[in-house]
Amino acid sequence: MTETYEEKIALLREIIQKIEDGSTSLDESMKLYEQGAVLVRQCETLLAAAEEKITTLARDA
Amino acid sequence: MHNISFMDWFYRDEPAEAPEAPAVTDAPLTVAEVSARIETLLDSPDLQDIRVLGEVTNFKHHSRGHLYFSLSEKGGGSTAAVIKCVMWRSDADRLAFEPEDGMEVTIAGSVRVYAPHGTYQIQVKSIARGGAGEKYLLVEKWKKELAAEGCFATERKRELPAFPARVGVVTSETGAVIHDIRTVIARRYPVEIVISPTAVQGETAHSEIARAIERVAGHVDVVIVARGGGSFEDLFPFNHPDVVRAIVACPVPVVSAVGHEVDVTLADLAADIRAPTPSAAAELVVPDKKDLRLALRELKGQMGAALQAKVARAQDDLTGLRDRLRPQRFAKKVEEKRQATADLADRLERAYATRCERERLVLSGLRTALEGRSPKALLARGYCVAEKDGILVTSVDALAISDRLSLRFSDGRSKVIVERVDHDGNL
Repeated sequence: MTETYEEKIALLREIIQKIEDGSTSLDESMKLYEQGAVLVRQCETLLAAAEEKITTLARDA
Repeated sequence: MHNISFMDWFYRDEPAEAPEAPAVTDAPLTVAEVSARIETLLDSPDLQDIRVLGEVTNFKHHSRGHLYFSLSEKGGGSTAAVIKCVMWRSDADRLAFEPEDGMEVTIAGSVRVYAPHGTYQIQVKSIARGGAGEKYLLVEKWKKELAAEGCFATERKRELPAFPARVGVVTSETGAVIHDIRTVIARRYPVEIVISPTAVQGETAHSEIARAIERVAGHVDVVIVARGGGSFEDLFPFNHPDVVRAIVACPVPVVSAVGHEVDVTLADLAADIRAPTPSAAAELVVPDKKDLRLALRELKGQMGAALQAKVARAQDDLTGLRDRLRPQRFAKKVEEKRQATADLADRLERAYATRCERERLVLSGLRTALEGRSPKALLARGYCVAEKDGILVTSVDALAISDRLSLRFSDGRSKVIVERVDHDGNL
């Protein structure tokens, strides 16, 4: 789940680059922005996850 | 005895402070100045909090409770080096055994200068028996072997993953270490912690630790191998080749937090990164969500700005297009066309008029020419036409005396009678 945080950030950077690129149409840019906004929200949610997950492996006999 | 004076100063509880060194001038240095310089030099970290292996000689347990002795090292059958040592009563009281001459020990302490006697000595904090000394030697031997295997090579050190999904922790499942690690990770970044519990001291601890590392390695992105503080003996399992090789063989990066500043274990040397404490190890393996939030906000702003710039550009384009579509501009275009049409019409009219004029001239010429040939014009010029019995007379041959002729003038007729007929030839 958290490995996707990295992927999400990478995707977000890609989206920004595309929007900044003059050859991307306004229509496309708006769609990209919406996509990016979703990613930002998802990342924020990931960081806000408060619960701590602990697994303890069994010692071998 | 040769060391009477040295015993003298040993009877003091603490060495006196050396005077402050004055600024260097061209004048010769005072003894105190040089002594102060020596003291500064010996204050180097290389000589502070060190461990020294050697044989106890000249041991004396003073009645006040302080221990005085020398540490010697033999080489080539004779003494190769000797360092004087003192252990103050406060530390000596904690010793579980009485050292004696000839005993092999490992002491821990720091080098101090005693200026009044121009000597230096080791102020000993703890002494470990010969057995421990052998263990140190064993660690040195392992260190050489493992170094030869490349276990400590810097080139095999790996980068830690930026965003681990699961962090493995090899340590005791009870105690402060795991608690500290959990606390730090929970505060910084939401990640799953996989605890691989193990004994961290005792006779079989080394193989337990090694197995704990192997067990967790496949389930996580990074492993922390940690232990709380302890003596050299306590940390000893972390020097064992089993543990070192398990760290080296671990498929994911390993962060160690075992020894302290002075007690670096071989496990610490083999780890990809060594942390000074378990908490520090936890900080190394996960990013801080505060930083991430900041970076995320920045990206968000950048994205908004990019879109705004694009919209602004589109608006500019639209304004440009609307300007080009304005009615004034359109009317002007029509006007231009109309003007062009009018010009054409003018040209057409002029061409037509010119042509008509020319045709009229031609026509009038023709009429004049035609009119010149009209019989009436001939009559008007004074000619007249003679007719006999309604037939035009064109030759005198047709005439005879007394013929009645009708003469036609331009403005009327008359009847005449032929009196004579003359041929031109007859004249």
